[in-house]
Amino acid sequence: MSKYRILTDDAKCTGCLRCQLACSQAYQKSFNPSAARVRVDFLGVDCAIRFTEECVACGLCADNCLYGALEKSAEGGA
Amino acid sequence: MTLGGFAGTILVVDLTRGVITKEPLDPGLARDFIGGLGLTVKLAYDNLGPGTDALAPENPIVLGAGTLVGTDLPASSRLFSITKLPTSGTIGWSGAGGVTFACMLKNAGYDQIVIKGRADRPVYLEIIDDRVTLRDASPLWGLGVSATCEALWKDYERPTGVVAIGQGGENLVKFSMAYVDRIATLGRGGFGAVMGSKNLKAIVARGSRGVSVADRKGYKALRKSIFERMRAYPHLKEWQEMGLINSFPFVEKETYLHIKKRRVACVSCPIGCKDVVEIRDGDLKGQVVCSSSAINLFTPIIYGMKDYREAIKLIADLDEYGLDMFEFMGLMVFAKALAEEGLIPRDRAEPQIAVESLGSMEAWAGKIARREGLGDVLADGFPGVIEAFGEKAEALAPALVKGMHPYAGPGAALPWHLFGTMELGQVLDPRGPHVGSSGSPTYFARRPLEVFPKHLDRMGVPEDEIAGLLPRGDEGEITGLSVGGLLRHSHRWFAILGSLGVCARAQINRFYSASFCAQAYEAVTGIETPVSALRERADRAWTLLRLANLREGFQREREEVLPRKWFGDRGFQDYVSEEPLTVGESEQMIDDYYREWDWDPKTGVPTQRALDRLGLQGLK
Ligand code: SF4
Ligand code: SF4
Ligand code: SF4
Repeated sequence: MSKYRILTDDAKCTGCLRCQLACSQAYQKSFNPSAARVRVDFLGVDCAIRFTEECVACGLCADNCLYGALEKSAEGGA
Repeated sequence: MTLGGFAGTILVVDLTRGVITKEPLDPGLARDFIGGLGLTVKLAYDNLGPGTDALAPENPIVLGAGTLVGTDLPASSRLFSITKLPTSGTIGWSGAGGVTFACMLKNAGYDQIVIKGRADRPVYLEIIDDRVTLRDASPLWGLGVSATCEALWKDYERPTGVVAIGQGGENLVKFSMAYVDRIATLGRGGFGAVMGSKNLKAIVARGSRGVSVADRKGYKALRKSIFERMRAYPHLKEWQEMGLINSFPFVEKETYLHIKKRRVACVSCPIGCKDVVEIRDGDLKGQVVCSSSAINLFTPIIYGMKDYREAIKLIADLDEYGLDMFEFMGLMVFAKALAEEGLIPRDRAEPQIAVESLGSMEAWAGKIARREGLGDVLADGFPGVIEAFGEKAEALAPALVKGMHPYAGPGAALPWHLFGTMELGQVLDPRGPHVGSSGSPTYFARRPLEVFPKHLDRMGVPEDEIAGLLPRGDEGEITGLSVGGLLRHSHRWFAILGSLGVCARAQINRFYSASFCAQAYEAVTGIETPVSALRERADRAWTLLRLANLREGFQREREEVLPRKWFGDRGFQDYVSEEPLTVGESEQMIDDYYREWDWDPKTGVPTQRALDRLGLQGLK
């Protein structure tokens, strides 16, 4: 599976959790935000995006973010 | 049989006895009522004794998350409720963008919650996976909506979903609402007061069980097709950036972008419509406000407030108290007229009622939320004010439907004059004047008639029925709209989307079709669902909502009458000809609506044939 560098832009994050839904569905076979390898932390009115150690940098979450808060860079290499 | 999509359990909470039970969801019932809104209607019908007062402990609150909620189909996040609403006295739906709540409820393992009784002290309901507990809410009682959410989020890490009321709901203000994650509104018509009457300050939900789909392959293909269409939509970025501000430019684009801090979206929604804004200058500089929609923040401008910063501040206050802004603003205009006419004595109308003044409006919002002085009368909404000040006051009231102020139409907040499904829907939705169920197909914008057949097909209107809804001239061109007939299909389409848990807002709904919904439902649940079956199940739910209201004594002559103020020179106009709407035409539209449903065209009571077809025999 190709690896990407995932770029994050917290300011664009809407908290839609599409990234967490996509990641959990791919790796846990069920839509379960709490089991995703990407996490959006809600800090007051702001959001902060982070990845857990299990993240394999597959880029699926970025493919599912329609707000530009996650982008995968073509250069590869995690 | 294990169904995909559904969590499989109904939570029943008896606040009086402090007992919580978990009941398995009957798969047959789930199928027959789709889920979400449809199931909510069924559970409310079964749990609500006729003649119950809206604020009595016996009035249940049923809350449900739709069948697709928890998946990543776009904007499948909706939370619905059915309860008897105190302003209208009717049994109505309340719906909110579920933000994180609806998804978390499903993840905790529950599709629906039935809340009965009244707690003897303030409580909140904690739902964390299997752990479902009533907790002491005394420290939260008296707090506003976002203060309550913030306090709960200190104890429950986000994305825990929160449904909470403010002081308005606590003090049984008839137009108080509940809020989801402090940003989405639930229940114009007094849903907040129903929670308040139960001493229920909030509900928190978080879960980690996951939501699974039955046919992963089929789901994947459907998901891909809808996303490809969304990504290719030329106005996607514009909707994400501007939203409804494009259609309702209350402030300059630059101003909006200057104050917009961040867009907020419900779980799974790729467009979003909610905003966090920050006032950047002036006396209110630094105020950060979350709103269910940016245009809501500017509503006071329609009522004469000059400074958009002050408008934002007022809406932030109303949201904190948990009060419906349309009802509040309409009432204040009314109260001002009563004071000017001397019907409200000068010493009671203190501070002076000035709709354009932030100071005055903030003071009145507080007085209403706390029921102080005249605020106690205003807190009972238009019917309460009319009762207190008599016939002369009634003559000065704006157009009212079921005791509430319609927000679209002549003299209303959105002074739109063409009479389409949205406008008629304000009278024929049992909950009262709300446009949420009746947007498709006409919406506010004047739409070219040629687009209607395609749009109706998308909403699932069978091909052979379309002709009867769109009369044509000699050349085959569409010459008019059967607004009543169309509205029947608006309501069915809304029942489909609401039962699936899909947002019905125009920017989302446009990507869904009834056939897509049927396929998605089948892929997610594993229940065979041709589009005809989906239509029938949605009809069952909406008809049962009708029956629930008829059982209460709901009557056409009382509940489904167009306000007189909607007619005349400054009244509504025909959607196509733009001629003034007549009483006769509007009556005909209501007959058409009933007939299209196979209800008695004069009384609106479902015919035996309709009940037999839907398996609702024996229900009255
Ligand atoms: S990173 Fe993107 S997909 Fe994830 S919550 Fe934020 S906006 Fe949504
Ligand atoms: S890159 Fe892949 S593994 Fe990592 S969080 Fe995103 S979807 Fe999950
Ligand atoms: S359009 Fe708005 S209300 Fe609807 S799902 Fe998206 S964010 Fe929620």
